[in-house]
Amino acid sequence: MTSLPTPSRPPLRSVLLRSRKHTILGFDPQKLIKYFFGSNASVAIIVLVLIMVFLLREGIDFLPTYQRELQTYRRAGLEFCDIIDQPLQRNQALSSSLRQAVSASLETLSKPARDRRDAAFLLKRRVEDKTLRPRESLTQVLEKTPPEPEQIEVLRRELGAASAAAAKALDYPAFFSTAEREQMQREFSALTPEVTDLPPLLLTLVEEFNAKDREARTQFAELVTAQEEFEEAAEPLQEVLDELKAKALETKEKAVEFEVLETNRQRLLEAAATETDPKEKASLTKEAEESVAEAANLEESTREITSRTGELREQVEKYAVVIEKAAAVLPKDAGTGAARKMVNDVREKIPEHAREMRAAAATLEGWRWDKPVSIFRVIGAFFFGTQWITNSSWQDFYGFVPLLTGSLVIAAIAILIATPVSVVAAIYTNQFASEREKELIKPVIEFIQAIPSVVLGFIGISLVGDLIKDVSEWSWLQWVPGFPIQERLNMFNAGCLLAFMAVPTMFSLSEDALNNVPRAYIDASDALGATKLQTVFRVIVPAGISGILSAILLGLGRVVGETMVVLLVAGNRIAIPDFSAGPGVIFQPAHTLTGIIAQELGEVSRGSSHWQALFMVGIVLFAISLLVNWCARAVARRFEPHKA
Amino acid sequence: MSADSTAQSTPPPVVQVRDMDFCYGASKALFDINLKVEYHRVTALIGPSGCGKSTLLRCINRMNDRVPSARVTKGEVLVKGKNIHDADVDLTQLRKQVGMVFQKSNPFPKSIYENVAYGLRIHGEKNKSVLDEAVERSLTHAALWEELKDRLHANALALSGGQQQRLCIARAIATVPDVLLMDEPCSALDPISTLKIEELMHQLAREFTVVIVTHNMQQAVRVSDYTAFLHLGKLVEFAPTEELFTNPREKLTDSYLRGTFS
Repeated sequence: MTSLPTPSRPPLRSVLLRSRKHTILGFDPQKLIKYFFGSNASVAIIVLVLIMVFLLREGIDFLPTYQRELQTYRRAGLEFCDIIDQPLQRNQALSSSLRQAVSASLETLSKPARDRRDAAFLLKRRVEDKTLRPRESLTQVLEKTPPEPEQIEVLRRELGAASAAAAKALDYPAFFSTAEREQMQREFSALTPEVTDLPPLLLTLVEEFNAKDREARTQFAELVTAQEEFEEAAEPLQEVLDELKAKALETKEKAVEFEVLETNRQRLLEAAATETDPKEKASLTKEAEESVAEAANLEESTREITSRTGELREQVEKYAVVIEKAAAVLPKDAGTGAARKMVNDVREKIPEHAREMRAAAATLEGWRWDKPVSIFRVIGAFFFGTQWITNSSWQDFYGFVPLLTGSLVIAAIAILIATPVSVVAAIYTNQFASEREKELIKPVIEFIQAIPSVVLGFIGISLVGDLIKDVSEWSWLQWVPGFPIQERLNMFNAGCLLAFMAVPTMFSLSEDALNNVPRAYIDASDALGATKLQTVFRVIVPAGISGILSAILLGLGRVVGETMVVLLVAGNRIAIPDFSAGPGVIFQPAHTLTGIIAQELGEVSRGSSHWQALFMVGIVLFAISLLVNWCARAVARRFEPHKA
Repeated sequence: MSADSTAQSTPPPVVQVRDMDFCYGASKALFDINLKVEYHRVTALIGPSGCGKSTLLRCINRMNDRVPSARVTKGEVLVKGKNIHDADVDLTQLRKQVGMVFQKSNPFPKSIYENVAYGLRIHGEKNKSVLDEAVERSLTHAALWEELKDRLHANALALSGGQQQRLCIARAIATVPDVLLMDEPCSALDPISTLKIEELMHQLAREFTVVIVTHNMQQAVRVSDYTAFLHLGKLVEFAPTEELFTNPREKLTDSYLRGTFS
């Protein structure tokens, strides 16, 4: 042992100092690597902060801009006009219900006659379509100069034969008698391009219908006149209002023009102030002085408008009296049940409408053109505004509620559909499925995530839309509220597709949550004699509930932020859905927070109030996403069982 | 075997294992096991790691059924005279009769009350007063009632390790099983908690029949009336504890007890 040479050790000093030997630019490589990894991790945080800053920078100016716009809206008198104009909009809705009721009533008498007339016209059209080519040749030949009688004769025979064949092949509806069918066949065979008069039978049918229609109109004379009166009632009021609106708009345009010129002038003056070259400075100042515009005299203009308050109130009162009278004479009986319902509905709503109009007229006196618009009002107008109107010739409004409602309803539909599907699928896969089933189910569901959302949008437009529409027309499903649906593209359609998109996220996370339930819980439950189902529903699911809830919330986050599908499929109607329709509301189209940004941001001019409004929407969307994610984390923590 | 002689005077065994072979797939884990567990006695299974004592324990309530390829290939297991592998045996009823406590305490993430009541609930008991009564009785048996009666609705996972294990015992005895299987119940506990559970076992034996797997021979001496020594899947010796520890018949037992085991 002692003979072995002791390996020589380096001196202690050099061992201690070895780390100093290798440095990169004077830094310890260990530290450099650590910083490199750390900086990569912090990039995400930095980017997030930058996004927030950017969004806020673009969006925060919205409030003062919108405040200025609303100020102009008031000062130019537009607001004054809207006091009356807004409630008057209901006149149209009521009128249209009445019109529908009238036509439904008239149809009870005139429908057979109308059907016969329409069917006959349709048949004639078919014959003409089928004989298109010979007729066109004949027309061309007829127009020729000099005329070629022989050729005309040949073509005429050809057309006659074609017409006869076509007329014979027609499928005549059963409500035409045999005699009528024969007559029609004869008349259709004799159709020629130069005779434009209707064949005699068609004339008879038209006459028949007109007679029936007249008869119906006399029978429902009360309803018809009431409807006409109601429609005409608004005319004088509308006339005065239109005059005022034109005046207000003129004032507004002047004011806006002045504002633009004034801002330009201010800019010139600013430039002049910073300019050092005296010559340039003088020229800038001069230019600024020249561009001094005359401010629109808002006070005078609005006085012109407000001076007619009395007249306007008088008209409103007249209108209210007339419509109330019309409501009183609205007959109780209409032709059909549906018409009766509509008429009753209108009768009930008219007094309310009249009251509303009178109340609006009463507030006219209290309106002041120079009352300032407070910032809180602007915030309220954005967050609680019910109208999102842009590129309007009258006034743009940026109200947030229609978009938010659309987004929330769609998200709620999606979550309601996706939650049971994904959670149940996760329970099955985790607890009941065999290994082979697991190998099939998990990748397939996770694959859904790979489908581009624009492709899903396609499917929504072409497949799901048609499917929902067709299903909604099945007669035995008519008890479902909202059936049959009007629009193929609606919130339900979008909700279905978003649910499909949310399933992979929710399924995978729920499955993970169930997988994380300690094996020991299952052992304990089994040892107590629980059946598989009891173990699943009494132990495993409750133990995994926090994970499942947070999976649902993260699914919600995904759904709220999704853009492409809602843009393509939700129908994009910017209006608050009509919740009075009950649960059927889900079959109405709507617009969403994400959709509006995607749709409009590309078209607006940078820095305009519209642009800023869209950024505000973006900020709110961002806040909602943050909130949802934070909730998901909080839920996961709150229900987390103590680590066993 | 030695146990035969002592079984003559006592009532028929509550658990009887007869000539049983047990396999995990192709590999045999237990060979020709014969074991009789007497009423209201504590029977300990000892032996080196991997000798099959836990497997044998799990044969008694068929917990091994959950392992896909595991099965009894020969012989039978009788609980109260009934072959537990018969087609007409209801597994949930069997497990109600044969309770089990695991090596690591595993209370559910529910309240203390719900943990104890769980076994009754899954067997269809809904009556509140019955449940209340069973919870109190079981917790009293497990020596937990005085400590916990004021916070029955607190989460069970907030209890200490020893309390959790005693709660698991309370949970297992709430359904009033005939046999209570314990799989190294103290191996994850500190000495004080272990002591409490050992004391508990003597009391439990008055009401239940206990089969305990332990790797701690002193524990076997302290708590059990009978001891079975297993080695490499074979039951080497089964005798009253005192006899086995003081005067082992088999040489293998002797060397294991002396620690001169190769």
